[in-house]
Amino acid sequence: MTRALRETPVTARRRPRVGGWELALVVLLLAQLLFFSLAVSGFYDGVSGLLNVTTNFLPFGLVALGLVPVILTGGIDLSVGSIAGFSAVLMAVLWKHFGLSLGVAVPLALLAGGLLGALNGLLITRTRTEPLIITLATSFVFTSVTTAMAGAEPPSGFPDSFNALGTGALGGVPYQLILFAVLAVVISLLITRTRFGRSVVMVGYNRDATRYSGIDVDRTVLGVYVISGLMAALAGVVLAAYYSAVRSDMGDILLLTALTMVVLGGVNIFGGEGSVLGAVLAVLILGFLRQGLLIAGFSDMVTTMVTGAILLIAITAKNLLAGGGFVARLQARFARPVPPAPSPPENAMK
Amino acid sequence: MPLSGPPHVPARAGRDWRALLESREAILIAATVLVTLIAGLLNHDFLAVSNLRFMVLNSVVLGLVALGQTLVIITKGIDLSVAPVLGLAAVVSGLLATRQGLPLWGAVLLVLALGAVLGLINGALVSSISIPPIIVTLGTYSLYGGLIFLYSGGDQVNSVPDSYAHFGNGVLAPWFPVPIPILVLLVIMLAVWFLLAHLPFGRNILAIGNNPAAAHHAGVPVKHTLTSAYIITGMLAALAGLIYVCYTGSATATTGTGDHFELQSIATVLIGGTAVAGGRGSVFGTVLGSTFLSVILTALVFLHVPAIWYSAGEGLMILIAVTSNSLRRTATPGRSA
Repeated sequence: MTRALRETPVTARRRPRVGGWELALVVLLLAQLLFFSLAVSGFYDGVSGLLNVTTNFLPFGLVALGLVPVILTGGIDLSVGSIAGFSAVLMAVLWKHFGLSLGVAVPLALLAGGLLGALNGLLITRTRTEPLIITLATSFVFTSVTTAMAGAEPPSGFPDSFNALGTGALGGVPYQLILFAVLAVVISLLITRTRFGRSVVMVGYNRDATRYSGIDVDRTVLGVYVISGLMAALAGVVLAAYYSAVRSDMGDILLLTALTMVVLGGVNIFGGEGSVLGAVLAVLILGFLRQGLLIAGFSDMVTTMVTGAILLIAITAKNLLAGGGFVARLQARFARPVPPAPSPPENAMK
Repeated sequence: MPLSGPPHVPARAGRDWRALLESREAILIAATVLVTLIAGLLNHDFLAVSNLRFMVLNSVVLGLVALGQTLVIITKGIDLSVAPVLGLAAVVSGLLATRQGLPLWGAVLLVLALGAVLGLINGALVSSISIPPIIVTLGTYSLYGGLIFLYSGGDQVNSVPDSYAHFGNGVLAPWFPVPIPILVLLVIMLAVWFLLAHLPFGRNILAIGNNPAAAHHAGVPVKHTLTSAYIITGMLAALAGLIYVCYTGSATATTGTGDHFELQSIATVLIGGTAVAGGRGSVFGTVLGSTFLSVILTALVFLHVPAIWYSAGEGLMILIAVTSNSLRRTATPGRSA
């Protein structure tokens, strides 16, 4: 495995976990904030103004956080957008047509998101089919169900106390940001400090070795799709609060941007490598980039284009810096594992 | 992720009737005929020549995109950027035709060149810098999608010159009443099939999909082959865009991306029996898959099934298609889940 060959010496493990990629992202984020603050009038409007900008893009960040464990296992979840829409519409329908209070409807919507994620996970592990296909298929199904559920006029006009989740702030810090920060820490701890989290990284790093070491791969895979479903549902609920309305297709925009965030954050799309911190930094970079460009007067499409370009440039730079020719990588990816695989999962977090 | 199990050896269907009857192509043909008959019994208008013609014509655009997607998926890759490539080709050729009077042959050359360049960018990033295809095409999806807006400035194509409309709807000659787009699709289907089955380039594509490292050691020019696969995919998506604008007479900045042609084409390829694990694929299956999708969606319209359930139907078809694949394969414990 190239990863094994590229492995840093054992002593290097004592260094802090923040890798070079995360440092580069921090520098990029700061440079970007500085640039926008100086060059774009109206971008920097006090610290609380800057924090308030985050409410525009943190739903993407929530989805990205949920995608991190999935991608760490080498999987992918294309159904996050449809699950977000499903949960938001379900919540709104339960509230409006079934008279449930939002205090009940929201947990039920999150539970539904988790169940849809579990359905993905079960289909993937039971049929041994690629996650890409299963989640593509289920996203089609979820979308239909959501549209049927939403009806011609989806509910809107939630109470202000609920809308505060999307637009309100506590002492200048938006609720969304608090939620995002707490969940980022929780998922980061889950990945780095728990047995489940280490299994997640190991499954992505070397699935067969993980199975041979007695870890229940299927249960781990099931778990990450439940997390992804839960986070997508939460993003849907936050979006509903942000707009004070729901639409069946409201989640459609989430997938590609959230995926871009995770990949820019340095999470290896083949699994086994990456950190929540990187993803969080990428969320902030892409989010502020988008808002900065929008405030500067660029159109939505130009900002999307720049996002795509940044992703390609960043990954190109990363690959060129990491070295290793194409063939060596391919060989590594498809070679049979060397029997005494010397790969403690911590090293995967480089 | 090691490949496990022996490499899949496609059955020689020609010799074995049983294998032929159980092939994905046969199942798709049977399913298409069955759906057509049932829908025809329930609603006689379904069997009208105009409707049959519509259903086949309707599948051409998706079929072309899916043919390109088939090549890329055989190499274990994926191309999400086909949707904006289609849209860009449709908008560029449509606007040039109406504003500058670009002749049809010029439009064909233009979109092929455009698709080749956009595909080359994908291919170069995938093969030379070894960025995973899904990331490359995720990036170029946004990039090319933005180009559509930059080029059109929000303008849209509302009509096309007669020569274009004839290319999209007309027949080759009165004595040969087959719509031109269908002929285009058939010719390209045969070309892609010939390429895969009989040319060294096609063999190389299959070899890379089966085992890139072994292909490299066997002397396959991996980089060139991969790049070429993405170039062909780009060209086919762009050609599909031209046919789209000729057929419908309209194109907007969200043509392609709005209809999620990237996901639709992947779905078509999967329904057609190509394995997403790479290494094998069915060109005829892909085209039959796009026809089947078109027929079943039209049948749902005729049977007054609300449109919101179409995508669920498509999702279920993907699930059935891929799980029947994995059930037919004997247990392969090492397969990635």
